[in-house]
Amino acid sequence: MLTRRTVLTTTVATAAAVLVGGRPSFAQQLTKEEVFFDKDAPVLGNPKGDVTVVEFFDYQCPYCKKVHPTVEKVVKADGNVRLVLKDWPILGDASVFAAQAVLGAAQIGKYQPAMEALMKTKARLSHDDIEKALAGAGLSMKELTAAVNTHNAKISGLLDRNYSQALAFNFAGTPAFVIGSAIVPGVLDEEGLKNAIAKARG
Amino acid sequence: MRKASLLALVWVLIAAILPARALEAPLPMDEAFVPAIARQDDGRLTITWSIADGYYLYRDFLAAEDDGNRPVTLQSKPGTVKDDPGFGTTEVYYQKASAWIANAPQTIRLTYQGCQDGGLCYPPTTRTIDTIAMTISKPDSGFAFAPAKDARPVERPDTGFSIAADNGETAVDRLMSGGGHALLFAGFLGFGLLLAFTPCVFPMYPIVAAMLTREGEALTAGRGFVLASAYVLALASAFGLLGIAAAWSGQNLQIVLQSPVAIGAVAALFVLLALSSFGLFHIQLPAAIGNRLKCGRQQGGSVGAAAVLGLSSAFLIGPCVTAPLAGALLYIARTGDIAVGALALFALGLGKGIPLIIMATIGGKALPRAGEWMERVRHVFGFAFLGTAVWLATPLVPERFLLLPWAVLTLAFGVYAGAFDGLRPTRGYGVLARVTAVVSLLWGSLLLVGFGLGANDPLTPLGPLKGAVGVGRTAAIQKSDFTKVSSIVALSSFLDTAAADNQPTLVYVTADWCVTCRTIERSVLTAPDVAAGLDGVRLASLDVSTLDAENGALMRSLAVVGPPTMIFFDRSTDEAPGTRLVGEITPASLADAATLVKGDAR
Repeated sequence: MLTRRTVLTTTVATAAAVLVGGRPSFAQQLTKEEVFFDKDAPVLGNPKGDVTVVEFFDYQCPYCKKVHPTVEKVVKADGNVRLVLKDWPILGDASVFAAQAVLGAAQIGKYQPAMEALMKTKARLSHDDIEKALAGAGLSMKELTAAVNTHNAKISGLLDRNYSQALAFNFAGTPAFVIGSAIVPGVLDEEGLKNAIAKARG
Repeated sequence: MRKASLLALVWVLIAAILPARALEAPLPMDEAFVPAIARQDDGRLTITWSIADGYYLYRDFLAAEDDGNRPVTLQSKPGTVKDDPGFGTTEVYYQKASAWIANAPQTIRLTYQGCQDGGLCYPPTTRTIDTIAMTISKPDSGFAFAPAKDARPVERPDTGFSIAADNGETAVDRLMSGGGHALLFAGFLGFGLLLAFTPCVFPMYPIVAAMLTREGEALTAGRGFVLASAYVLALASAFGLLGIAAAWSGQNLQIVLQSPVAIGAVAALFVLLALSSFGLFHIQLPAAIGNRLKCGRQQGGSVGAAAVLGLSSAFLIGPCVTAPLAGALLYIARTGDIAVGALALFALGLGKGIPLIIMATIGGKALPRAGEWMERVRHVFGFAFLGTAVWLATPLVPERFLLLPWAVLTLAFGVYAGAFDGLRPTRGYGVLARVTAVVSLLWGSLLLVGFGLGANDPLTPLGPLKGAVGVGRTAAIQKSDFTKVSSIVALSSFLDTAAADNQPTLVYVTADWCVTCRTIERSVLTAPDVAAGLDGVRLASLDVSTLDAENGALMRSLAVVGPPTMIFFDRSTDEAPGTRLVGEITPASLADAATLVKGDAR
């Protein structure tokens, strides 16, 4: 039977295979293509926008959740910004589980409700908390598990790439932003984000 | 194409921090949380963190394990309950945190994690504590190599050494950013051309020559051009396919193909080609093959045969790792951009083949058409094939017996050259043939003597005598001077020992089947400059003759595509930037790199 555990462990196994079998060197240098246009990374805002904001985040990182409404507000108000959300689960098992579940939801077209549900949580998360929050958004663990299992390689691959990119950027932690060619570690206020977008637009 | 233009923008990874930040830039993790250890009167080990103002450490994330990855119980005092209406409650430490371990084992790996208040959360960091020496390491190779197992499903191997960051940028990146696909193609074509005259590519020449002599009377310059082009195009395509296979399998496929079976099969193929050149197929031994060759000649099907030969030849020269090949493979592995990598490899193969095409076109005109001479030329190629077969099979032959096949082959050639000498009257060719015969017989005899003496280098059959007479070049570096390392752990401890003695280290990746490596061992390592340059440098070798999980993992952690590769580590076990040597290595380049690492580390 498929349980959360099996989802996690199979994903771990796949990730291990990718990691051990695949890359002779992890990226020390990135291209904009890799960071801005990863085909598997969820894109919000205006997909055709002229500026891309990439956020590396963790669903358990309080400051990611705090900054999230600001980011959404600015992106919406601007109307011409692509927002790419990259999971970088650094706060333990539950963070990895949350990221996988939400990316599973993305495979069945429900990224936004799943992501918003977890961003609205107000505490450190247990597996049960995550399930509850997702159920509250109308997502059953059953369908998410199925989606994660089906798209296992894709999701693991994306998490791997996010991880390598965060390392390559030498980010101190989450949240961290890439806006145009500027890199911003830590939270940004509304003004700061707007300025960064304006600057990226040149 | 969007992709191409964007790929060209290689980023410089230095953060451009915007002025409009709400909060001050976060400190590096090591500065925000500084751990110290002490032994208490009751024998318990205390770990105390000094925490910068405005930062906090999570109590839940404090963890310790021993060197067998078994958890070690860590006691800690209750922390401050951080109750934020937005984030719920967490137990954290401000300013100072402490934890205790009773009955601490010798080695403890300590993991902890925290946040900048109101700003950013750090990934976990791990440090190793030695409770005998009472030392605490720097974060294990930075967090790049040791994320806590929770943050990453799998822990990256904690290698204890680091490779230089410049490996990320390959020749492909540089050419692509300089001028896109056209420059990339031209660049690799040029690399190929330069490499066309290296030992690795030599077997191609007799193969193409033999292909042409089979044509007999039908051979013209045009025909030579067509055949050689088919051969080279197939060779180049196979190179491109190898790149795709490498990307797909994550392995350097050519290395995998260097199994004794594969080598044996190719060597056998050459023996077969030799026999065919000697005309043995006339006595209908493998009739099917003989017939096919005959048919091919008449119906122009030999263009197809040339292509097949070209495809299989790629495996012959594929394992020769050269800097451009390594660059292209690393590029593919890093970016997953198969098309660009395959294009580069295709161009590389094409470049290697250009001299072949030129040779075939000229040769098509110059080679004798028919008659006794044609037969002779064919026979000489037969010997060349046998030589190639012996040379290929070298890794399969016990070192003690290495000289025997060479001796037999050389003697046989001498006998052959002498045997038809009588037929020729006093023409210049007759003299030449006789001289060749005598030289061959003499050298063959020397080889036999060398075999008796236990020599193993066909070029210095009397080498063992030199040692006995005491003329040996004692200063020269030999392969046996390198300490063999075959796992990450072994290299790590080797480097640590070297670092403790304040010496830099050279890691030489080699293999029995690596043709270029043999050249390096014979003429590069033995150069006086190199011996002087490498004086004071620890020598380690990674032999990948047979690839297994351990040495494969080490190869990957070093970002090595294959042999020959030389990596220099400075005295702090980090690879010295700009010193890595791949492929054709000259005494000068090796001595320069050695000087650089010695100067660097000082």
